[in-house]
Amino acid sequence: MPSTSLALTPGLGSFLKSLKTNPVETSIENLISLLKRRQIRHSRSCATATAYLLRHVVSVCKTSDPLKLIERVQTVGRRLVAAQPREMVVGNVVRRVLGLIRDEAEDDHDAEFALSEAGSESQPHTPRAFDDPSSSLPLDRDALSLRGDGAERQTSRPTLHSMFSLLSHPEAEFSPISTPGTQSPNGRMPPHGAGGKDVKAEVLEGIGEIIDELGQVDDQIASYALEHIHSNEIILTHTSSTTVQKFLVKAATKRKFTVIHAESFPNNHEATHATVSGKSVNDEENLSTEAFQKPLIALGITVILIPDSAVFALMSRVNKVILGTHSVLANGGLVAAAGTRVIARAAKVHQTPVVVVSGVYKLSPVYPFDFESLIEYGDASKVLPYEDGDLVDQIDVQNPIYDYVPAELVDLYITNLGGHAPSYLYRIVSDHYRKEDISF
Amino acid sequence: MSTTKAGTAAADSKSFDIVATYNELLRSDPDITMPIAAIEALVHVLTHCPSSTISETLDLLEKSTAHLKRSIPNPIGLSAGTDLFQRYLITTLQRPGQLGPAGDFKAIRTHLLSNGRLFIRRAKESRQKIAAFGRGFIRDGCTVLTNGGSRAVASLLQKAADEEGGPSAVRFRVIYVLSSMSKNIEEPSGEPEGMETVRALRAKGVPVATIPESAVAYALGKTDMIIVGAEGVVENGGIVSRMGTYQIGLLAKAIGKPFYVVAESHKFVRLFPLGQYDLPIEQHVVDFKSADDIAEEKKRKQQTFDVGNGDKPVELPLSDSVDFTPPHLISALITDSGVLTPSAVSEELIKIWF
Repeated sequence: MPSTSLALTPGLGSFLKSLKTNPVETSIENLISLLKRRQIRHSRSCATATAYLLRHVVSVCKTSDPLKLIERVQTVGRRLVAAQPREMVVGNVVRRVLGLIRDEAEDDHDAEFALSEAGSESQPHTPRAFDDPSSSLPLDRDALSLRGDGAERQTSRPTLHSMFSLLSHPEAEFSPISTPGTQSPNGRMPPHGAGGKDVKAEVLEGIGEIIDELGQVDDQIASYALEHIHSNEIILTHTSSTTVQKFLVKAATKRKFTVIHAESFPNNHEATHATVSGKSVNDEENLSTEAFQKPLIALGITVILIPDSAVFALMSRVNKVILGTHSVLANGGLVAAAGTRVIARAAKVHQTPVVVVSGVYKLSPVYPFDFESLIEYGDASKVLPYEDGDLVDQIDVQNPIYDYVPAELVDLYITNLGGHAPSYLYRIVSDHYRKEDISF
Repeated sequence: MSTTKAGTAAADSKSFDIVATYNELLRSDPDITMPIAAIEALVHVLTHCPSSTISETLDLLEKSTAHLKRSIPNPIGLSAGTDLFQRYLITTLQRPGQLGPAGDFKAIRTHLLSNGRLFIRRAKESRQKIAAFGRGFIRDGCTVLTNGGSRAVASLLQKAADEEGGPSAVRFRVIYVLSSMSKNIEEPSGEPEGMETVRALRAKGVPVATIPESAVAYALGKTDMIIVGAEGVVENGGIVSRMGTYQIGLLAKAIGKPFYVVAESHKFVRLFPLGQYDLPIEQHVVDFKSADDIAEEKKRKQQTFDVGNGDKPVELPLSDSVDFTPPHLISALITDSGVLTPSAVSEELIKIWF
């Protein structure tokens, strides 16, 4: 542990502080060990730490060749993911950054292409044009339209590639995107001088936007609250998720409703109690929660704290279940705090709508082949304290931290982009991550 | 002038028997799928009938396709191929580039004609791709239930079996549902479809249990997942597949086991069946008869035997009958463009049609 962070408890705050002073390699190692020791947990903290680290990595990277940048980010990303494979947001942020670099490289390449096309009328149409129906527009040489064109291509290309790939001309198989810079007609390589440097700056800016997004995501989600929470409704929620709390607080500014809060024993009950009563928690992970330390009760909302075992009994009175999540998977299922599945199941039995609030950054392109491997087991002493020594010897105590909730138990996802049906999530996944980055 | 030309082209295509070519293609290569055979047959049509204009070619294709669809009892699979071919041609012609309107029409023609083999090879490669995607589904110690003679499923299971003993060894078991209806009517004692895969898997050391269709519900308790193949994947994400798949899907849903479909993306077909009886196929699975009907049928059969088969619409033999599995029973589709949810299918189709 570097000396700068000795004074602090190791965590997100100390990591971000040390990032400025430490060399990159130390920072990477630092984050890996923090992830491994679970000193940084919670999706958002992991995502923020990863984004800051990658920004640092990219900014100190000597090269400005997009290919080398991608390679560098990939190696760092692989190490981070290997350190804590269950924190899927780490992988998501890495994929977003990789996508950013590819986009910038492409734009660069496109601009290059437009230039060369404008230069010589007789420019042979290469596979790129063949790949891309939108470039049939006569506006081809207009730099502005090309930018939009690039964005459109991002969504249209993979599918065109997929179904027609059977019949397509062999040349068309080489996507110019996967090999930026190598496919230059009449031997014009994108100059890695001025243009290349621009790529790096754009990427850094893009990572900055991701960081901003991470900071704003809860407020953006909360802005949908009034559409979903109506007067005099009874809402059931679970755990001390900040996203859910902000969502409820936003609705509470305008409406009166009742919240039933399941305490989520044994892993999160203390934080939940604190959330309900409004006593601040000395947890640096929740630094951002200060903004709304005024709890729901202060806004005149009736909050009923119940043990997890009472969920089913009360479900028949509940109008809506609002859940936070750890990560969302491509098939619409989610991994959330233990106890979530019970609640979702109970809601299903009572035909109560289940709404999951989650930032897009939690949306992972991973398909849950084996969801048991996604579930983490925590400290068994939280279930059975070691003081009960004689019992510990005789029984096996397990404390799973997460639950897998299948897609059919969820009715609606609210992300910072709006509300989506679980079956639509694949679309958001394909909008946010490049196909080639899904398994980087 | 062009009309007469088109007329002669149509006449030519009559002299060249597309149906026979299609059937021959399917027979000669057991690995070929129906859509690919249809594409191949169309390529053959183009080779046999020289056409120089775009509309002439499209017209010829349309006629041949219609003829082929009429003559084959179950045109769902092949229509995926013919549609894809047609759309590809049209989309390519509309696009700029060497193969577009600006370029030479001959270029795209020669591309299509000279690359028939390539299409087949790609289609087979896509099965390998699927196997690579689907490989992650088969975990250590799991039991897979499957049915029918899908080559995509077979290649997926065999790929998983091949890795046995390797660094990523998976031990899994297979429950194979064998159809009681023999494929060959003349040879009722012939082995049911899928036995080849069963033997191949057993040879690779995978324990395989074979069960009749009636034992599916009984066996599902021992099963971790169901993987089936498909003849066609329809717009809403449902599948048209061998008779019996629907009931397996229903049972899987009832028992809560994941139901995966393995299909190449060229099997996506533009069809929106509203139910079991809404498929464009003549199949008399549920056939109500009284004693009189049976007697009459016997008589008619003798007559037609003398006269020979007229121009009646072709019926699907009972052993080849299919059913429709609606999308809500399907957990995921494993295709060569990744693992898709059923709702993603329509998007892939929209992309090529609109």
